[in-house]
Amino acid sequence: MGRIVLENVTKSFGETQVIPPLNLEIDDGEFAVFVGPSGCGKSTLLRLIAGLEDTTSGRILIDDADVTEVSPSKRGLSMVFQTYALYPHMTVRKNIAFPMRMAGLSEEEQEKRIMTAAESLNLVDYLDRKPGQLSGGQRQRVAIGRAIVRDPSAFLFDEPLSNLDAALRVGMRLEITEMHERMQTTMIYVTHDQVEAMTMANKIVVLRAGVIEQVGSPLELYRAPQNLFVAGFIGSPKMNLIDGPQAQKHGATTIGVRPEHIDVVESGGAWTGTVGVAEHLGSDTFFYVHGTGLAETLTVRAIGDVSLKHGDPIQLAPRATEIHRFDADGLRLP
Amino acid sequence: MAIVAQNSKYGKAGRTILAWGVGLLFFFPIFWLVLTSFKTDADAVKPEFLFFFTPTLENYLNMTENYDYWRFATNSVITSVFATLFTLAVGIPCAYAMAFNPSRGTKDILMWMLSTKMLPAAAVLYPMTFLTKSMGLFDTHFLVIMVLSLINLPIVVWMLFTYFKEIPKEIIEAGQMDGVNTLGEIREILIPLAWGGIASTALLCFIFCWNEAYWTVRLTTTEAATLSKLIEGNRAPEGLFFGRLSAVSAAAVGPIVVLGWFCQKQLVQGLTFGAVK
Amino acid sequence: MSNRTLPRLLQTPAVILLLIWMLVPLSMTLYFSFIRYVLNNLRRPEWTTPSIENWRGFGNYNFVLNNQDFWLAVQNSLLIVCSILFLTVILGVLIAVLINKAFPGRSLVRVLLISPFFVMPAVNAVLWINMILDPVLGLQGLAVGGINAVIADLQNAPIIGPFFSLWPALEPISFRATQTSAYAVIIMVTWQWTPFAVLIFMTSLQSEDQQQKEAAILDGASAWSQFRFLTLPHLGRPIAIVVMIQAIFHLSLYAEIEIVSRGNGNKNLPYLIGEFANNNIGAASATGIFAVILANIVAIFLLRMIGKTLME
Ligand SMILES: Nc1ncnc2c1ncn2[C@@H]1O[C@H](COP(=O)(O)OP(=O)(O)O)[C@@H](O)[C@H]1O
Ligand SMILES: [Mg+2]
Repeated sequence: MGRIVLENVTKSFGETQVIPPLNLEIDDGEFAVFVGPSGCGKSTLLRLIAGLEDTTSGRILIDDADVTEVSPSKRGLSMVFQTYALYPHMTVRKNIAFPMRMAGLSEEEQEKRIMTAAESLNLVDYLDRKPGQLSGGQRQRVAIGRAIVRDPSAFLFDEPLSNLDAALRVGMRLEITEMHERMQTTMIYVTHDQVEAMTMANKIVVLRAGVIEQVGSPLELYRAPQNLFVAGFIGSPKMNLIDGPQAQKHGATTIGVRPEHIDVVESGGAWTGTVGVAEHLGSDTFFYVHGTGLAETLTVRAIGDVSLKHGDPIQLAPRATEIHRFDADGLRLP
Repeated sequence: MAIVAQNSKYGKAGRTILAWGVGLLFFFPIFWLVLTSFKTDADAVKPEFLFFFTPTLENYLNMTENYDYWRFATNSVITSVFATLFTLAVGIPCAYAMAFNPSRGTKDILMWMLSTKMLPAAAVLYPMTFLTKSMGLFDTHFLVIMVLSLINLPIVVWMLFTYFKEIPKEIIEAGQMDGVNTLGEIREILIPLAWGGIASTALLCFIFCWNEAYWTVRLTTTEAATLSKLIEGNRAPEGLFFGRLSAVSAAAVGPIVVLGWFCQKQLVQGLTFGAVK
Repeated sequence: MSNRTLPRLLQTPAVILLLIWMLVPLSMTLYFSFIRYVLNNLRRPEWTTPSIENWRGFGNYNFVLNNQDFWLAVQNSLLIVCSILFLTVILGVLIAVLINKAFPGRSLVRVLLISPFFVMPAVNAVLWINMILDPVLGLQGLAVGGINAVIADLQNAPIIGPFFSLWPALEPISFRATQTSAYAVIIMVTWQWTPFAVLIFMTSLQSEDQQQKEAAILDGASAWSQFRFLTLPHLGRPIAIVVMIQAIFHLSLYAEIEIVSRGNGNKNLPYLIGEFANNNIGAASATGIFAVILANIVAIFLLRMIGKTLME
């Protein structure tokens, strides 16, 4: 079980309020991702749930039990840190055994769980090494192993992949997702990378300055961002945001069109401009278009290789159904 | 090119000689102390025996008889060891709290602790004598241990604090998530991790205790008197006992100097509070 | 507030111990400084027990301020501390730069250099004032005597004798007079603490940016300008630390002075207090309060510096 509920939780460091009153529910077995720009309070929120920070006010419930005043060691949660936070003076085996030793499990039970974890994480050959002798990816696995063995009601991850190189990151992303599919345990995962959020989550929580901007499944956020912030944050490359007369034509203060929703046409495009930079990836082509009179730069994604180059005139046709409209407060218009 | 190369070759030789010169110059007084300790009292003040003399162990062999050396040395060992242990016992939890559970006042508390170290001891000399005499603590081991602990506590807390601060906070937090209590954090994680730092701190604390020469001189007479008191009490032999005084002095500083040789690096790092890398 | 309370409480034993250590004797000193309190006085035996009836107001302070010894002691305290700081920093930088580059036997030289730092102050003083600086029997006296003997021999020699006849006999310096004993203290403490400065500066020099140095060499910077514009600024922070730590230790310098002066020579504040405390506790306490004030002035200045340097 691992249903986590935050009720009017706030957090202040001294005078500065980092988390204004916040409510959130995470259901048992869910993979929730907190995403937002750096410094928006994701880690703080996670650490409040973990109990590593005291709440300034509000309640935290785990499986309907109020744990606001309960120490981290008694909340039954496991955490994987960005810096791995392995015990450098212990071998991998001792690291993984540590939470079980603290819980007073028998030696055989410890050994059994260590072996299961080590096998599933490809760590069997490294059990007698110290963390200092492992690569970044291996250390991350040890940290995960240490989290798994105590059979927590939920896993907390704080940017666990951001210290890995790009290739490893994709691999570990898949492994963690698979781990979730297999175990069906609640996971809360913090990242500033919206690609990680989109690929891993059942439920994304978008945060800005401690405030939840939107909660929903990845596709809900992609299809119907509730405000300009979410619109700009979710999706890669970023949504084009246009204001001025063009927006007023649609009865909005600002309109947004995703780069993949603008077609490059031979003639009769609604918008025209000149190609600035063209990035040819083979599968797609990205154009950064200037001189449209709509925005400084429009980003356009064309499928396949489209052979326009720097300085060429370009005609663009936005798909009318995919235009997002926002009012003066930046809120989505229906 | 050749000239440059030659120049720097001579430069290097010159620098080597100069550096050795400086090193030997600084070491000379200690060398002189040790040398004198092997002369008889009579030889020690004769110019013809400055460097060439018949060495004798007599001064060392008679140390007990002349100065009751071992009694003072035992006191020094007892008070320094127990003071170091006590200081660590109080200092480790304190530095742990400050490094991993800081509050807004932590910085000020640290500063204040250090400022007690700057308080001129002499200003409270009489009240201390008065108090300890009226409580019957004057000239006891307990008193010396407590005083040595208290005067070194600020430095020890500071040093430990800087060592502990180097430990990533996440490791302690990982421990909390893994189910250890506060005592466990200190015992299972902090102490094994900061072992090197704790050892150098203990060492430095021990050296300072051993060398302390204000309170140990002023608050003792015979029972708990340490080597500082012994040397201070025989400070002015008017040339009569240079040999034996050298021997007992060498015996007083020898162990500490040798100890210092082995841990100079850690000591510097500790004393600068990690501010010089 | 909840689960951090216990860990935070762990600092209380240390804080309480230090608080008691600081407050109890200091408030007694403060109290004594405002009353008449002497250890022996046959005419006024009531002054020999501390009591509020013997209130003297600022009398003790006046007495101290009008006492010539007090001003001498303040002057001496400052002279001694400042000279030591100045000398150790200068010597420390020079020696550190000298031994920073590798040369044969460097680690041994380091060991030789650091040794004085671990010598206990009492031994330091006894060693210097007797075995080395004593004008008759110390190394100084012996050396001067030896040189004089050689000169005398030469003066009596046949042929070359007249050439040396005008050479004066050397006079050894006595380091036990009022002023010279301050020099003796400065010499011995400088000897003890220069190694500390050297070690810290050397540690810091090792982290100096070598690429920056190489760039400067390519730019044609002379050794002096490299030192002046790269090395010296790099040493700014360690110099501050050396000054600060030494000030902490030297403000209460005592053993050396006690041993060197033997009661009639040089005095600094701690020493003067000790002397007053032989009988006039009121005056000793007032002097103590002055010493505390002086130390606090230095401390405030230094703690600011530490705060900036050490807490990032
Ligand atoms: N211990 C702390 N003391 C004071 N401010 C903090 C502390 N921890 C975090 N903050 C502040 O809280 C805000 C949110 O931090 P954090 O949760 O770490 O952001 P994120 O993980 O989203 O990058 C930041 O502005 C940060 O400066
Ligand atoms: Mg973060």
